[in-house]
Amino acid sequence: MEKARLCFITGGVRSGKSRFAERKALEYALLTEGNLHYLACGRVSDAEMGERILRHQKDRQTSPIAWQTSEYATDITRVGAKVDSNSIILLDCLTTLLDNELFGSGLPLEANFLHSIQAKIIGAIDELRQQSGCLIIVSNEVAQEPIFQKQLLHIYGRMLGTIHQTIVGEADEAYLVESGIPLKMKG
Amino acid sequence: MHFVTGGAYNGKSNWVKRFYDLESGVLWLSGYQQDEPQRIDFQGKTVVWQGLDGWIQEDAKKMAADAIREKWQEIIAGWRIWEKERNDHRFIVIGSDLSKGIVPMEATNRRWRDACGWVYQDVASLSSRVDIIWYGINQRIK
Repeated sequence: MEKARLCFITGGVRSGKSRFAERKALEYALLTEGNLHYLACGRVSDAEMGERILRHQKDRQTSPIAWQTSEYATDITRVGAKVDSNSIILLDCLTTLLDNELFGSGLPLEANFLHSIQAKIIGAIDELRQQSGCLIIVSNEVAQEPIFQKQLLHIYGRMLGTIHQTIVGEADEAYLVESGIPLKMKG
Repeated sequence: MHFVTGGAYNGKSNWVKRFYDLESGVLWLSGYQQDEPQRIDFQGKTVVWQGLDGWIQEDAKKMAADAIREKWQEIIAGWRIWEKERNDHRFIVIGSDLSKGIVPMEATNRRWRDACGWVYQDVASLSSRVDIIWYGINQRIK
């Protein structure tokens, strides 16, 4: 079976990447007469986070095509039961998903566990692409700052970087959003 | 000289291997694993420095940032002589960009970051080609 179109969007905090991703999803939905599915990975951890999620929800309410929302902090393949080959899935965001998968279980961050999480996320993306029409993934840029061996930041940065490389390698389109301006890197 | 930079874990080394189709005749020196590059009489065609930031991190423990810069200007000048000995000699330098975070707390780490920035400017100005790698995709900026 043919895999869904894959679009990767990254950028810094508050760069406007989520908004751009929503616009992109809508464009694609109008083009293909598809349905929009928002896959939220964030947990409401404090008031600010709640406010941020509400603002994005409000944005989606004004969309000419209605969004269906699913919230899965981990195991995102669960959304597969709700989508079809006309669905445009917007996954927001990969870094939160990685956080949840890595730190949610409380397991020690040993090599085997890290590899299994990486394989799980890549596998989930693959699976969702076989069940939908288009998958748009939003993520955060890896910090470009001194990283020290054996530190958590090192483990985390390497994992996220590797996952990003795999996704960009397979993506039909990839964007880096800077201050609200999307830079097309691939496609 | 060809300078390849970009954030850590963006696939810079893999890109270099792919771009140049590197297999044999390569002297691959890693700043994360080896002592700094001594000038040797290398008979192959391609020299790659991977992780210039790694060597500079060691220097920053004991030297001032401007002294580090001068030291690397000299080392690079030596390897540029090797590069120019023959038309098919290639000198490729890979360094992770450390310049886009908050100012580090520790003086050593500030020195490391400062020295990296300066040495990278020198490397870039001497290079005929500079690429930034973003998750395996290159953007040529020189």
